[in-house]
Amino acid sequence: MAKAVIVTGAGGVGKTTVAASLAVRAASEGKETLVLTVDPARRLASALGVKLGGRPVRHPEVPRLWGAMIDGAASWITVARRHADPAVADRLVKNEFFEAATVHFPASQSYAAAEEAATYIDSLLWDVVVIDTPPAAGGIEFFTAPARMADLVGGRLLRLLTGGRIPGRNALFNRGARPLLRFADQLLGADLLERVALFLMDLRSTYDGVAKQSKRIEAHFRRAATLVVTTADPAPLLEAARFFEELPEVAAPPVAVIFNRTLPASWAQAEVPARTSAELADNLHRWGAESQRQRDARAGFAARFAAPLCTIPWLAESPTELAGLRSIIDLADGLPSLW
Amino acid sequence: MTRLILVSGKGGVGKSALAASLALAHHRAGARVLAIDVAATGGLAAHLGVASLAFKAQTIKTGLNALAVDRSKALIEYLQVQVGMPGLATLGPAARFFDALASTAPGVREVVTLGKVVWEVKKKQYDVVVADCPPTGQVTGLLRAPETVSSLVPAGRIRQQAEWMSEILRSPQRSELIVVTLAEELPTIETEETMSMLDESKLIGSTMIVTNRALGRLRTEAKGVDEVAEAAALHRSLFHSQQEWLERLPPRKKFPYLFGVFTESEIAARLSDLWGE
Repeated sequence: MAKAVIVTGAGGVGKTTVAASLAVRAASEGKETLVLTVDPARRLASALGVKLGGRPVRHPEVPRLWGAMIDGAASWITVARRHADPAVADRLVKNEFFEAATVHFPASQSYAAAEEAATYIDSLLWDVVVIDTPPAAGGIEFFTAPARMADLVGGRLLRLLTGGRIPGRNALFNRGARPLLRFADQLLGADLLERVALFLMDLRSTYDGVAKQSKRIEAHFRRAATLVVTTADPAPLLEAARFFEELPEVAAPPVAVIFNRTLPASWAQAEVPARTSAELADNLHRWGAESQRQRDARAGFAARFAAPLCTIPWLAESPTELAGLRSIIDLADGLPSLW
Repeated sequence: MTRLILVSGKGGVGKSALAASLALAHHRAGARVLAIDVAATGGLAAHLGVASLAFKAQTIKTGLNALAVDRSKALIEYLQVQVGMPGLATLGPAARFFDALASTAPGVREVVTLGKVVWEVKKKQYDVVVADCPPTGQVTGLLRAPETVSSLVPAGRIRQQAEWMSEILRSPQRSELIVVTLAEELPTIETEETMSMLDESKLIGSTMIVTNRALGRLRTEAKGVDEVAEAAALHRSLFHSQQEWLERLPPRKKFPYLFGVFTESEIAARLSDLWGE
């Protein structure tokens, strides 16, 4: 079984770049490596040689490196086809509520991504599978998605809509018994409830498959090495702290936190030589204040959580070429061994 | 007439800071302002200098009020005010029932959430309503919800609501969406995609792009290999990289990178001076 490395964190902190760099590094150390990413920047995608929705493809230049890009919405269709009877699956993917369920229930996209990842981890084709978590999941939700997905298709909504019992296709609602349903009809028009319930009944037929997969995915989460990427800004830091607090409930605790966009510590109290122009002295003072703020943020985080703390320097352009991706992990200071 | 200004952008670009600063700017210009947290991240509260916001509007200062749209409370208020189901607050099962329904029926949840915002516009108690919205990835779904509901629900009260919401949102005199972006690759691409979708669909009266965290040009050359030169080199290359993205997607306004340590409410206050007229 492959070693899974999950890269997570708030949006916009450089998760995808870190995941790509780790994969390039693992491949260069002789590991057969697959990087799974979700909608990366186009230039990064072309550096990795991946296409959306495709099967894993071999990188044209880097030996042992494979890439695949997960399309959350398309994977949902795969899930339906995998776990439901063909006729039911056809009905499901054509249903007017199907797309809505994929959009409105963010856990479904994360679930689909995790199910695909689990398949690759078990396939024996790779030593290391690096997973870049979907941005839509917004953090810890990626890890709780399998359980919530099983809950959704298990009929919780259906039971709520029908008042506790799972009805047959022909006898859905008894309006006389439930005044609530009359209000719902007023609100939404007469037949919407039936249409929703029929859809949920079809969805329910995927339950056995989804429940089994959810258990398998959770087992993978418990064995994976999770890296939390953040910057020193308040919002990503809050998100990073949530991972350290909540992840142990559903997965292995994070193995490290990576502070991306780190400024040199020496800027904080740097002496400005005599005869430096006022503009350049001001510039160093401004960036020095940023450096100090970052140092305080890292110290605050280290005081709260025991995991290793790793830094990646602030680069003007996020690297989109192989050389750049290689150098990022070489620049990373304090990264524990992951595979 | 009440003006509605929705603020969105890719995650992490500073939407809440700019939404709060815009509310402050309008308030300073003498308008009666309501700021609404639709994103439910708590970011707006911090930037307005309060610990949290509730569904009931609270006064930040005279003429500036703020509230947060809590999903389930929006639903309960919706059912009470618009559907006329009394005493729902104590009616747990009914609220859960509609919550379950709203999770599955496309657009229903969004119409209820956005409905609260547009309802505040319709009531005409304020001159300006500023809404701190979910990220661009979700905001198009939010704006499209009235149409989605209209196409799916042939009759019923929620359809009527969807119709008057659409009318207010599509009016160029009343409604505007501000998309906050950064001069970087991913936010630029996401903003371009959002704008082309909105231009095509005309879901919102007018749009405007603003760029946050823009750097100023350094005029002096640094010599030597010390920290002064290092900081100048990083600043220059970041500045040049930003110019590329600014050229590709020119914003209506630029807001500066704020260096050093500020509280959220200090950030909002500083940015509020820069909105101009």
